[in-house]
Amino acid sequence: MILEPPLLRSVGLTKVFQTDAGPVHAVRGVDLWVGQGEFVAVMGPSGSGKSTLLHLLGGLEPPTSGEIWLDGKRADGLTQAKWAMLRRRHIGFVFQFFNLVSSMSVADNVEVAALVGGASRRQARERREELLEDLGLTAKAQAAPSQLSGGEQQRVAVARALAHRPSLLLTDEPTGNLDSANTSAVLRLLRRSHAKGQAILLVTHDARAASMADRVINLFDGMIVDDAAVRPVPVTAASSVLELRG
Amino acid sequence: MRAAVRWIRADLRARPGQAAAMVLVVAGVVTALLLSATLFEGAANPWRALFAQTNGADVWLRLQPGTNTRPLHRLIGVDQVAGPYQATSATVVRGPQTAPVQLWAMSPALPVIGRPLIREGRWLTAAQPRGVVLEASFAQAIHVTTGDTMNIDGLDGNEVHVVVLGIAYTSDQGSYPDQTPGLMWGLRGLVQAVEPVSRHTVELAGLRLADPSATEFAVQQTVTQLGSGAVISVSTWQDVERSVDGGDPLLGLLLALFGLVALGGALLAVGNAAGGRVLIQVQDLAMLKTLGFTPRQLLGMVVAEHAALGLAGEAAGIAAARFLTLPLMRQVPAGTLAAVAPLQAGWVAAVAGGVAAALLLATVLPGWRAGRIWPVAAVRPPAPGKRLSRLARAALLSHLPPAVVLGARAAFTRRLPAVLTIAGLALPTMMITIGIGFWATLDNVQRHPGEIGLAAALTVSPGELDRSQAVRLIDADKQVTAVYRVAAVSALLPGETSTITTLGAGTSPRPFPFHVAAGRLYHAAGEAVASQGLLEAVHITVGEYLRMPVGGVPVIFHVVGRIIEPEYGGQVLAYGLDTLTQAGAVAPPVSYSLVLRPGVTAAAATAHLLTLSHGKLDVAQTVDPAASLGIVRPMLAGLFAVLGLIGLTSLVTASAVGLRDHLRDVAALRAMGLTPAQVTASLLTRMAVLALIATAAGAAAGAALSARLIDLGGQVYGIGSGLGSSPSAAPVLLTAATAVTAAAAAALLPARRAARTPIAATLGP
Amino acid sequence: MRLPLLALLAKEPAHGYELKARLEQTFGDAYPSPNIGQIYLTLQRLERAGLVKSQDVVQSDRPNKRVYELTPAGREAVVTWAEEPSDEPRVRDDFFMKLALGPMAGVTDALSLINRQRRHYLGLMRSLSRLAEEAPENNKIGRLLIEGAMLHLQADLDWLERCQEVLL
Repeated sequence: MILEPPLLRSVGLTKVFQTDAGPVHAVRGVDLWVGQGEFVAVMGPSGSGKSTLLHLLGGLEPPTSGEIWLDGKRADGLTQAKWAMLRRRHIGFVFQFFNLVSSMSVADNVEVAALVGGASRRQARERREELLEDLGLTAKAQAAPSQLSGGEQQRVAVARALAHRPSLLLTDEPTGNLDSANTSAVLRLLRRSHAKGQAILLVTHDARAASMADRVINLFDGMIVDDAAVRPVPVTAASSVLELRG
Repeated sequence: MRAAVRWIRADLRARPGQAAAMVLVVAGVVTALLLSATLFEGAANPWRALFAQTNGADVWLRLQPGTNTRPLHRLIGVDQVAGPYQATSATVVRGPQTAPVQLWAMSPALPVIGRPLIREGRWLTAAQPRGVVLEASFAQAIHVTTGDTMNIDGLDGNEVHVVVLGIAYTSDQGSYPDQTPGLMWGLRGLVQAVEPVSRHTVELAGLRLADPSATEFAVQQTVTQLGSGAVISVSTWQDVERSVDGGDPLLGLLLALFGLVALGGALLAVGNAAGGRVLIQVQDLAMLKTLGFTPRQLLGMVVAEHAALGLAGEAAGIAAARFLTLPLMRQVPAGTLAAVAPLQAGWVAAVAGGVAAALLLATVLPGWRAGRIWPVAAVRPPAPGKRLSRLARAALLSHLPPAVVLGARAAFTRRLPAVLTIAGLALPTMMITIGIGFWATLDNVQRHPGEIGLAAALTVSPGELDRSQAVRLIDADKQVTAVYRVAAVSALLPGETSTITTLGAGTSPRPFPFHVAAGRLYHAAGEAVASQGLLEAVHITVGEYLRMPVGGVPVIFHVVGRIIEPEYGGQVLAYGLDTLTQAGAVAPPVSYSLVLRPGVTAAAATAHLLTLSHGKLDVAQTVDPAASLGIVRPMLAGLFAVLGLIGLTSLVTASAVGLRDHLRDVAALRAMGLTPAQVTASLLTRMAVLALIATAAGAAAGAALSARLIDLGGQVYGIGSGLGSSPSAAPVLLTAATAVTAAAAAALLPARRAARTPIAATLGP
Repeated sequence: MRLPLLALLAKEPAHGYELKARLEQTFGDAYPSPNIGQIYLTLQRLERAGLVKSQDVVQSDRPNKRVYELTPAGREAVVTWAEEPSDEPRVRDDFFMKLALGPMAGVTDALSLINRQRRHYLGLMRSLSRLAEEAPENNKIGRLLIEGAMLHLQADLDWLERCQEVLL
């Protein structure tokens, strides 16, 4: 095994929200790491703090305490502007909702991500064409997001997240809002990216999505309760999984 | 950078209506402000505008003929010297009419300094050696137009027949007949023909100073350099300005005040439109942050977008104002010195700068706030306050329809935008209310001219009749209800080097019915009333004593009252004629101020008197400031329209922003069982509540301020306070009702759409 | 029945009726009341298998009762049982037993149980996914079967989460 510094690492990451009902400890002292090119899933019941954890790791909001190391550099405590610069190189996001900017076309949405990452206009366009073709959405390039179905929007969101070739893809329940056909499509997309070497941190409820990961972390009440690799269990003929019920 | 441009282009393309609306608002505001400024400049101080247009001289020197004026060029602080021009006094004779005139010798080339502004006809030309150009007020007074002929009689009896080539405005002296003699220009040959003896002429030289306020110094130097023997008299631009019929102070006052308040409301409207747009964009901007836009980039982007729109709006506004100024220029009211000229660059820059600053501020503030919010807001929008206010709870308990209660509460979920919306609607409402107040004042002034000191519609002098004949005629005229003898006597203001006009009006037992704003009229010899401007100039108040040489005799006046007197530049002292005779002063010949029977117009009475006297009586109508105010009503109407547009913009913005906030609430409400109609009602209620508060506040403020503003302006202009009328209830209520209806209408279409979309589509994201 | 009894005995020795009472207490009314005869039968089989041993205890005023206790082999059987993930189809019963009795037996804690089971399910899900990918398009029944299994797995995982929430 080649020992490489992890792509993403957190030490004692904590987030406390001050609400009317008192302080809420959403994330309590989480230590986790994601290796280069590794696919890690984070599962847990709602209210366990998975989304908050993702937001913290992506610099979407500041932690209350703890350390975040991204590609060997300390990232917690950075200003918004510095985080933004970091994101241009290292992080792509796919959320459950609200992914696409409503006033821009599909093509613009994807290209803007590439442009911000430093691509030239031509490079951005080429990247967009490549991604949309992969997704089978070339025909909808000039459409407005509101004209797309939920599944199509989410696929575009993945394209956008990958447009600037980030080191790490952070996604929060990307299939939460989708039907099974679209879920399969998006999961296939993620798997393909992972196969090409993309590191992914996936927050999900969906066992199928989680089972695709190299490792599954289980979060409960803001703390990690389990962190283990996924080892395929042979579905043998003797196993009654395939037994007809009754 | 490329990404930012991409977003701006996409945003403008996606919401072209809003972008266009913003450009329109800015353009409208800029146009309205520029037009107001134009009219203000032209009406409040037409003389200044004229002075600038004609490149007037700061100091005019009247010198002994033959004085060498070359030393004047060397004086410190003197930039340019005009002339010297030869000038002579003469009399214009036209039929039975005569009038004193001063004839200046000019060349066919228009002078650089003190360049007369041709109103009709043309300037002097060598082709017409007997051609003259008359000054406008003089021409009006003697009823002469281009092409008329008349004779000019010199002091030595030479009579020259001349033809009028043109009529021009000049800033070199005040209006005739307030300032006599009248002014006329002719070629040098003509002047010599009228007055061949140069000893009987004078030399006129004009000075243009580097520092216009340094007139005293310039005059001192002149006297030193040329010798006091050479200088006959001096007039500075300040003297002329003071003596000039100050345009229409009332009009200028109204416009200035209106413009000031309009500025506030306009800036707020622009601010609201820009700020509202930014609020709507906040969600998308937060998403952009997750892509890697830094807060400063986003701020720059938003500011750039709005600056571009604002710039387009300003350019359009300036162009529109310029375009609209042209027909206004042609509408110069006859008889006044109002000069409407395209605005000087300084004004335009000030307005453009002010609007731009407001726009930037309104964009930078929410943009900066949006920048400070961490990007998590893109996926977890901060929920507006969820607590039910006490008011709402009370309303629910009182069994008001739930839709209404929810709507009312929804009005205040975001506090700052709600306040800004209210302000954005309240200010135009306040201004409209003030405008209605101005309208009411105007109506009042026109119906009761006595209240602004115009009790007497006509001033009559004997003319060709002898005095007793004239008096008999006037007394016999049944259209006249009262006659007062009035004499204007100049007096030297104590401590000042200028003279003012004082009026011996009526007698102490029977004083002229001035409109007294404070104190009382004079009832005994020695008592007098004064205008605000005079009281301030000599630093006394009502009840104190004033000693002034009047008609050469020092008189002590007991100032017992303050009157509103819009003529005479706000500086006038009035007393009974018996005070003069008692003091031993010589009273100039009196004229007769006639108070007409109600219902009789000045024009009709004038015609009647002229008929009765076979044209021999000299009848003049009192300058009625309200007459030229005819332009104010359509202007107010136009301004109301612009204000309405501004208010509407605030409403539409508020409606759009609010709908976005409450879309989720709407879905939840519908899922709870509210019918689409109830949902629509709640959204309408929200807007109506905001509008109601805004219009109530605006109307109340406007009603309170309207009269006070006019009074304040009156004081500033020296007319004196007591002029203003408060707006009447009916039009104000109508305005409020219109505003609330408009608010509901602005919310109606989007509300209906929201209420009818399938619930599932609105739930969730 | 065998392993639950072993697990109960892992806590402390008991006789037949005590075991019955404890089972009823633990599982409540939802669980069918165990037959005392079956309990004794199972105890005897366990004794023959060498997993438990019995002893008669003399009582003064009552007939003698037979008290059973675990042998070392029996203890090891319980531990092994606790440490292995339960297999379908009786998973809910089997796993639930473990969850209910294991911590009491002191052989394991709820969290480890849940984690272990969860990892097992995820592994299963992984294999099922692969099967689903490889299954030919036209084998609709086969695909449906796989999908059904996956849905059930998801439900079981959700239930695991629920257990975690309640018991931890």
